[in-house]
Order: sequence, then structure tokens, then C-alpha cells
Amino acid sequence: MTHSVDRILTTHVGSLVRPPALADFYRRMRDGEPCDEAAFRQCLETSVTEVVRQQAGIGIDIVSDGEFGKTQTWSRYVLDRLNGFEFRRLRPGEAASSGAAALTGRDRELFPEFYAEWDKTQDSVLLRAPGRWVCNGAISYRGQALIGRDIDNLKRGMAAAKIPSGFLPVVAPGSVVPERADEHYASDEAYTFAVAEALRSEYRAIINAGLILQVDDAHLTGAYERIVPPGTLADYRKWAEMRVAALNHALQDIPEERCRYHICWGSWSGPHVADVQLKDIADLLLRVRAGCYSIEGANARHEHEWRVWEKVKLPAGKVLMPGVVSHHTNVVEHPELVAQRLVRLARLVGRENVIAGTDCGFAQGPLVRRVHPTIMWAKLGSLVEGARIASLELWGAKAA
Amino acid sequence: MKRSTNRILTTHAGVLSGPPEFADIDLQVRTGKPYDAQDYAARRRDATFKTVRRQADIGIDVVSDGELGKSRGYPYYSQRITGIEQRALRPGEIPVTVRRSRERLEFAEFYDYLQKIDTRLAVPPGTRLVCTAPLVHLGLGKLQEELEAFRAALAHVRCEEAFFPVIAPGWLDHFMFNEYYGSDEEFIYAIADILRPEYRGVVDAGFLLQVDDPGLPDAWPTFIPAPSIEEYRRYAAVRIEALNYALEGIPEDKVRYHVCWGSHHGPHTDDIPLKHIVDLMLKVRAQGYSLEAANARHEHEWKLWRDIKLPEGKILIPGVVGHASNVIEHPELVAERIMRFASVIGRENVIAGTDCGMGGRVHPQIGWAKLQALTEGAALASRELWPA
Repeated sequence: MTHSVDRILTTHVGSLVRPPALADFYRRMRDGEPCDEAAFRQCLETSVTEVVRQQAGIGIDIVSDGEFGKTQTWSRYVLDRLNGFEFRRLRPGEAASSGAAALTGRDRELFPEFYAEWDKTQDSVLLRAPGRWVCNGAISYRGQALIGRDIDNLKRGMAAAKIPSGFLPVVAPGSVVPERADEHYASDEAYTFAVAEALRSEYRAIINAGLILQVDDAHLTGAYERIVPPGTLADYRKWAEMRVAALNHALQDIPEERCRYHICWGSWSGPHVADVQLKDIADLLLRVRAGCYSIEGANARHEHEWRVWEKVKLPAGKVLMPGVVSHHTNVVEHPELVAQRLVRLARLVGRENVIAGTDCGFAQGPLVRRVHPTIMWAKLGSLVEGARIASLELWGAKAA
Repeated sequence: MKRSTNRILTTHAGVLSGPPEFADIDLQVRTGKPYDAQDYAARRRDATFKTVRRQADIGIDVVSDGELGKSRGYPYYSQRITGIEQRALRPGEIPVTVRRSRERLEFAEFYDYLQKIDTRLAVPPGTRLVCTAPLVHLGLGKLQEELEAFRAALAHVRCEEAFFPVIAPGWLDHFMFNEYYGSDEEFIYAIADILRPEYRGVVDAGFLLQVDDPGLPDAWPTFIPAPSIEEYRRYAAVRIEALNYALEGIPEDKVRYHVCWGSHHGPHTDDIPLKHIVDLMLKVRAQGYSLEAANARHEHEWKLWRDIKLPEGKILIPGVVGHASNVIEHPELVAERIMRFASVIGRENVIAGTDCGMGGRVHPQIGWAKLQALTEGAALASRELWPA
């Protein structure tokens, strides 16, 4: 189930707000408090089963585990699963790669007063001590047990909810630690490809389990506002091209139709005026060996970019998964708006090549929530209803 | 009222963030604390001047005074009318009508959370504004003070036109409760009577009048249980008639009418669809109609205008940027939204606006950046709509 054969399929980007009991375990882990491992595993298992049931209940076709198994953010979780990294306190003169100090970029330079106020509301993300992840040894994968657990939990939930299609989101090599702090490898390229090589194991485990692999790469776009200015678009593209090549290395044996690639421009609710434009990177995106591309399309900075596909031809067999609801506003998208967003894109690239998605996840870490959970579920409900309306418009009475 | 004859004109819904130095005294006055009236007036004039200049610098064509200092509380209204008081809530009472709605019941958990982070309150906690005696207008002194400050600011900038927002009867009754008049209708007309001189005062001073009426759609979710559409329309029709009564004698082309579904950052899942009230809206004796079209609950409604004919001579002012998200609208999205309206109602009948006021709902930096996106987007749309 990857193409919209007789109706628009529905899915989302993966992360969902953790239920309070599970969030509490993660809070204790973050704060270094004792935590009963068996109780945690039990809570995780039942939470995933429940969140799959909830997705099925509202009519999501391709479900996730909510990313409930991730101990840290959508990208840093993998550091629990890789050898070769160490978290260190900052030494004088060193740049942070975690905590509030790591947050830089053009948007922040342009809106300092806004960010000063907004950061205060983001404790759950920023409390982590400023520090840096350093690569100080050969990188290899050691997360077999953890990815195995996540796979089992998701499949158990799918079986209980009688849902045939599920996806697991994992991080792209370029998004693991994009601000390289590397004391082991000789070059940026050697480092990034080593990460890619290690991540192959995680990717293949997901494919071998019969699930859809989703590769998350928000830092691919996010790097732009840190490179330009003073760098140019060409400098940025050069930076990004190597990351895409490394990702393709990791994806080399994976059937394209089993893989979707998610980019977004960072899920924080800021102005986003310094985001790179999709038209400047659409060709790079399409180089990724994936069958489906998940891209923001439901927020005010990127909603207009559906028209990029007027000029850029979507290669045969590929699928677009636009965001048709967004975490950037509490306002719940009207199903008619969702339908309008789907139909106009379907008219451009073909109805079978569009599946309905979200701009990004709703909870990029175990304690993050971009909107209140009741709003999140209402938005997913709107997505499903909007896809139904669009399907009627696109297939008429023949819509399934 | 100027229309978009050779390019898309730009405006907004009225409230803007004033300069930071005005914030402290503004809060003092709003919350009813003692203040030096002369000092306040001088500071307000200065803040208004800066706010008007900033709009002009950004390229807003039809500017407001930013509505600095305006509030919905007793300290503001008690200087303009008698017959009201602020009193403590009795058991079961709410401070303002919109605090009890079907949406708030459905999303109770969310609203508990929102209440903790949303510090905007129309009236002090635990109180409500009530009408306990005949409403009598105290004269236009306060209004004229505001209009004078606006006029003084306008003398230094270039813009196409200037508008001044005043509340509609059917909105004021959302936070002024009747304890004197014998019927709902009597109360609404009493409010209309005190607003009449304000409306005229604005127009006589040479400004466009904007009548703010979130009440037309916004009362819908506050009826528990849900009324039928017909019942609701009867409730709303009384308010529209009272508004038209208050607008008597004012040329239509001096008036624009702003409706929105409430600017609060909620899900808005229970907003009444525009299609159920659009004919009532068009009954208002105004030339321009300002309405939400830039947020996820109402963006799709531009299509309605393919079925509803905009009467000859009227102008729509759709929101093409909104306060419901911090993300700044891309100018190309703004242009796309304008083009959609132009394609169904004609380019000369569209003025680019905002969903609602920007002041207070987003950080000032965000609010102003959105107005910039609005003018940039309108310029893009103008180039497409008036080639060469």
C-alpha cells in the first residue's frame, strides 16, 4: 500500500505526543532518576498498541509507533544505538551541538526579540545541558535490540488493530550530528559515510520486518540558514549533495517503493523566513533513492510550493506526501481545505501519486509537544475526512 | 473608499503592536490603575505616530491608528458611557460570553492548558461588565482625542486612506451583560444608540469607519446546546438590523465591516461556516467586508464566492496573512490567495487584509513581519493582475 490506487491514502510524519505515563518515564531518564526497566518496557508496549489503535480508529491507513521508543529527539535517539560517540561538556571556544546554545541561524538573527520570548516556553527541548556530541572512535551500529523492540511493538499494535501498513521513522546520516565534532575521521565525508554505513543496519532491519522505512532529514534543509549568508546557495548545495550521496549509500539495497524520505524546515513555531525554497532543492530531493517524498505543504511559509511541481517533473513511480495539516497552528484545518490542498496537487502530478500527510511530526522528542494532544488528534481526523472529500472529487463515485 | 484600480491595495484589521515604551502605561490604564491623564495622552500620541509611520514605511495603503489603548473593560467604557458597572461574578457566571462554548466543552483539556499560557483578559478575573441603568453617551471627547492623535500622525506620512475601528452592537454585548433593559432587543438597540454618535464622529472627522463584529459568527458556539441554523440567524439578524440602525445616514462608501470568528488560539472546529451568515453580512450598510481567509479553518471559503455574487460596487478585504501561527506567510502564498479572490470577484473588488488584528496575538516582531509579507505579496499579485 504505497500508491493511492482508488482513493487518497492517509498517513503522517511519525511522531505523536507521548501519553503521560510514558512521558513520565522519559522525564525520569532525562533527569537521571531511577527507572524500573521492566515497567518501562511494559508501558512502552501498551502505549504503542494503544496509539496504533487510535490511528486506525480515526482512519489513518499507514500508521507509525508514534516514535514512542526514542529516548531523545527524532535525530539524537540514534546516538544510543551507535558506537563512536560521546557527549561532552563544552570547553571554552567550542560550539554546542545540544541545548539552547546550539540554536543558531538566520531566522534567529532576524527575530531576536521573538526568540528571546519564545525560547522561554520551550523548556522541555532546551533544558538539556549545553554540550556537544563528539565522534571519538569508529562508528558502528549497536542498536539491534532497540530497533527490534520498536519493530515488535509496532507490529504487535498493527496486528491488534488489523492494520496492514506501518512505517518506522529513523534518522538520515546528515541529520545525526550535522555540526560535526569529529576527532576520529579524516574528513567530513569520511565521517558522514561512516554514519551512513552504520545506519544501513537500522534501515535494513525495518525493511526486513516488512515495514515501510521513513528517513527523516530535517537538518538537510535546516543547514541552509546557517550556511547562507555568508555562503551562497551553491555552497549550501555542495554541503547537501554529499549528505544525499551518503544517504543513498545507506539506502543502496533498499527497494525504493518501501522507502519514504521526509524533509521539513524544522518544526519549531518561529517565523521561518530564512528557509531554503523548495524550488532550489527539489532536484536534490529527487536524487534520494526513495519512492515517496514527504514535504511541508500546510504552513504559511511553504503552502505555495505545490506549484513547484508545475515545473519540476515528478519521475514515474514516485509519490508525493504533502503536509495537509500542520503543527504550526492550533486551528484545526477544515476538511475542505485539506481536500483543496490534495486535489490541486493531484491534478498536477496524478491522483495515484499523492498520499495525504502532515507537515512534520507532532512531538519531535519524548517530552516535546508542538500542539496539545486533543488538537493533534482533531487534525488527524481532519486529514482523513479531507482525503475522503478529495477522493470523491478525484475518483467520483468509483472512489473506494 | 478607494478600491484597487491599478494595483491591489493593502490594509489590515486594525489592532497593531505599539512601540515597546508604550506597553507599561498601556497596561496601567487598561487595568484601571491610577495614571496621569496628560502624560498618558502625550505618550499615546507619540505611540500612535510611530505606529502609523511604521505602517506607511511598510507600504500599507489604508492605515489605522493601531487601536493603541483601546480595551473592552470598564476603565475604557466608563469614560464614554454611563449606565454600566463592573461587579464580581456570581456563582455560575462567566466574565465574557465566549468563555463558555461548545468548543470549550469539547476541548476542555486544551483550554485549561491555553488559559494558563494566555494572559489576555478582557476584564479582570472574577468580574464582569454589566449594564444596570439606561445607557447614555457621555459625548465624543474621548473619541475626538483618539481621532486627533490619528490625524496628527497622518500629517507626516503618505498613505491612500485611513480607517478607524469601532465596535458593533452585537459584539459589545459579548462582554457587557444586560441587567436593566426588558428584552434582548431593547438592550441591543440601546447599545446601537450609544454607538451611533461614535460612528458618525469617525466619518465626520473624515476617516473611513470600520465596524468590528466578531459577534456575527462568534456567538454560534456559545449557545449550549447547539441551536438550529435558523434560530441562530434570527439571533444574528436582530444585531445586523440594530447595526444598520446605528449606521443610518452614513454613506456606505465610508464604511467597512469586519467579521471574524474570534482571534483566540483555539481549534475553531465549531466555527459557523461563512455560507450560513454571508447574506446577513452583506446586509450591513457597508462597502467593504473584511473577513478571515488566511487560517486553516476559513482559507477554503474563497470558493464560496463562486456561488455567491458579490453585489455591485462592494469590496472584499480577505485576510491573506493571519495571527493564528508564528510562521510568516511567504509573499508568493499571499499573492496566490489574492489571485484566487481576484479570479472569482474581480481584481478591482479585492483589498488585501489580515484575518484579524495582529496586536496582542503574536509577538510584535512577527506581527510587523506579516504586514511586510502582505505588501510584498500584494505587489506580486498586482504584477500578475495588471501586466505591464
